[in-house]
Amino acid sequence: MLRRTFLMLTTSLAIAGAASQANAACSPDYTGVTLTVASQTGPYIASALKLGADEWAKKTCGKVNVVEFPWSELYPKIATSLTASDATFDLVSFAPAWLPDFVPYLSEMPKEMQSGKDWDDIEPAYRERLMVWEGKIYSQSMDGDVHTYTYRTDLFSDPKEKDAFKAKYGYDLAPPKTWKQYLDIAEFFQRPDKGLWGTAEAFRRGGQQFWFFFSHAAAYANNPNYPGAMFFDPETMDAQINNPGWVKGLEEYIRASKLGPPNALNFSFGEVNAAVAGGQVAESIGWGDTGVIAADPKQSKISGKVGSAMLPGSDEIWNAKTKKWDKFSSVIPGPFMAFGGWQIAVPKAGKNQKAAWDFVKTLTSPDVSGQAAITGGSGVNPYRKSHTANLQLWSKIFSPEEAKEYLGAQSDSINAKNVALDMRLPGYFSYTEVVEIELGKALAGQTTPQAALDAMAKEWNRLTDEFGRAKQLAAYRAAMGLPPKN
Amino acid sequence: MMRNDPIKHVFIWPAVLVVLAISIFPLIYSLTTSFLSYRLIPPIPPRVVWLGNYATLLQEPRFWSALFTTTLIAFIAVGLQYAIGFGVALALNARVPGERLFRVALLLPMLLAPVAVALVARMIFNPTMGPLNQFLAKFGLANLPFLTNGHWALACIIAVEVWQWTPFIILMMLAGLQTLPEDVYEAAELENASAWQQFWGITFPMMLPISAAVVFIRLIESYKIMDTVFVMTGGGPGVDTETLTLFAYQEGFKKFNLGYTSALSFLFLIAITIIGVTYLALLRPHLEKRR
Repeated sequence: MLRRTFLMLTTSLAIAGAASQANAACSPDYTGVTLTVASQTGPYIASALKLGADEWAKKTCGKVNVVEFPWSELYPKIATSLTASDATFDLVSFAPAWLPDFVPYLSEMPKEMQSGKDWDDIEPAYRERLMVWEGKIYSQSMDGDVHTYTYRTDLFSDPKEKDAFKAKYGYDLAPPKTWKQYLDIAEFFQRPDKGLWGTAEAFRRGGQQFWFFFSHAAAYANNPNYPGAMFFDPETMDAQINNPGWVKGLEEYIRASKLGPPNALNFSFGEVNAAVAGGQVAESIGWGDTGVIAADPKQSKISGKVGSAMLPGSDEIWNAKTKKWDKFSSVIPGPFMAFGGWQIAVPKAGKNQKAAWDFVKTLTSPDVSGQAAITGGSGVNPYRKSHTANLQLWSKIFSPEEAKEYLGAQSDSINAKNVALDMRLPGYFSYTEVVEIELGKALAGQTTPQAALDAMAKEWNRLTDEFGRAKQLAAYRAAMGLPPKN
Repeated sequence: MMRNDPIKHVFIWPAVLVVLAISIFPLIYSLTTSFLSYRLIPPIPPRVVWLGNYATLLQEPRFWSALFTTTLIAFIAVGLQYAIGFGVALALNARVPGERLFRVALLLPMLLAPVAVALVARMIFNPTMGPLNQFLAKFGLANLPFLTNGHWALACIIAVEVWQWTPFIILMMLAGLQTLPEDVYEAAELENASAWQQFWGITFPMMLPISAAVVFIRLIESYKIMDTVFVMTGGGPGVDTETLTLFAYQEGFKKFNLGYTSALSFLFLIAITIIGVTYLALLRPHLEKRR
């Protein structure tokens, strides 16, 4: 009997010892904790979250369950959960534009995460602007998003093509500085009989369409002489979306839709990437994913022939204050932080807030996020200084020349003086819904660009009045980085 | 004698309370909300606007466009479903060889989830990768903008509706045909009535009550179409294929405009009630003649 008791005691001690040794490897120890994250359907972003989840599990022994929803369903799913104050999700990943709607239901980032080497490594455009709402940090960027230009270097460096292009248009074939040049290039390479088309952009309602239109308009509507006036007049909150700058942007966006593969009107960003990687188009605009996917030999027919540049710009930009075109001595590049990069936040109603913020720390650490950034299809684009500075990291997918152009385009765009920030406003979906509807009509030729934009402006002004003009103006100024209006 | 037995309350009241809780209360709550300006996002405190939401909706071209689109889809799709379904039911009733196999095979579409059918249809109609355009290209035809042109997109949605729900009509009509008395046809044959005369003189009138019920059910169901449109076109291009339920979904779950959405739902209810009542009123003389 004594022997048996001794044996049991020894076994128990051995088990307890092994368990404490295992727990010692978990730092901090979140054994038994399972976090649920709301994400858009993978691979984009969801795969990056899973990569972070694996690392976090190794470190803390906790688990992360990534729940995926189609892009068009993500906002309602998160919003219904947050407004009901239920604890369905411990973390939510979302577009920066939705932050104003979600802020009342989110917890603030712990102060200790808002300093240190990893914190300073985040590009200021994200750290000081997109992650901030009314002076507080409620979310962390887990992706960097700015629209850039992608082109096929094999076509652009071909002497025959170069000569023919110069003969036709009177200037050298090179990455475009203006949108007119962009359309010239698209027109030049429009060769349906050879399976080659000019450009690929998203034109489908619900397929990230309006960000591509905003990118065109940013060159003509984001005036450095009157900052923050691209979407609304920052003094009156009057909609600017029907001013002549936006009209020009829409006219060119419509023209681009006619220089793409057949039925480009049905393209979302996924189809844009497929067209670029399939070698179907000579050039394209879009997020950084395009360059990474096009460089990946497993996914692309044009691997090793991928060039990148900033978005085209303009030397005349509409001034919403003077209501005139301002002329500039040289072309001002017009980068646009379309979407602005996925954010991740912790709802107030979450039951594991400490663990959730710890997961955010791991997910967005330079190492884990750096790996995600060079993984084609992860949806993560550079948002840390270390992402663009570390050329060696990118040598896994790009040739040195490709890497230099890709990282240069990303970094130059984010840090450009006249970079346009995306709209962030309470009631965001109400504002963008009318844009999608009217864009659909304008692209289908059912209405003129001016009429479509007038309809958008009318609805924007009505919504602003309904939501409260003063409240919306304060929110808009905060989103554009402007001081509060006295 | 048992009427005054108090035990009846024990049996009746739980049922009444359940009905009140799950059916009447939400309806009254929704009706009350329809008189409010009430948004969850951005949070705006509820404000009474009485019939304001209804007035705005009735002046909203998008509401009329959605109503027109829904009506168009419902009437054309149900019309085609009835014509094809009745025809196939007649063929099956005529005991064609392999009738049992046909009957099972033809019912399959109805058993599939509409969202799955819509996903398959979206792939088939995909302008660049879809097999339909690839097939047409083999004959030298140009790519057709199936889901990117308003008219084509509507036609595609109607085609999918017809494909999926014709089996329901076949099933119901076949069941009806099998209950028809044989002696009437025998008498007609003795009178040398042609097949066509037999159909219009006997089959169609005798099938009228069941036809009326089947068409009514399908019409009401078609007005509620949501999943097929949501997956295939999302209501686009523009709002060309947006139906009433999709419009309500966009307002309610994208914009969280609860007052407006409740008003929209009640207008939808009124529209369906008017259509249903008109339909039955139009058919009543014909049905009464049959009694």
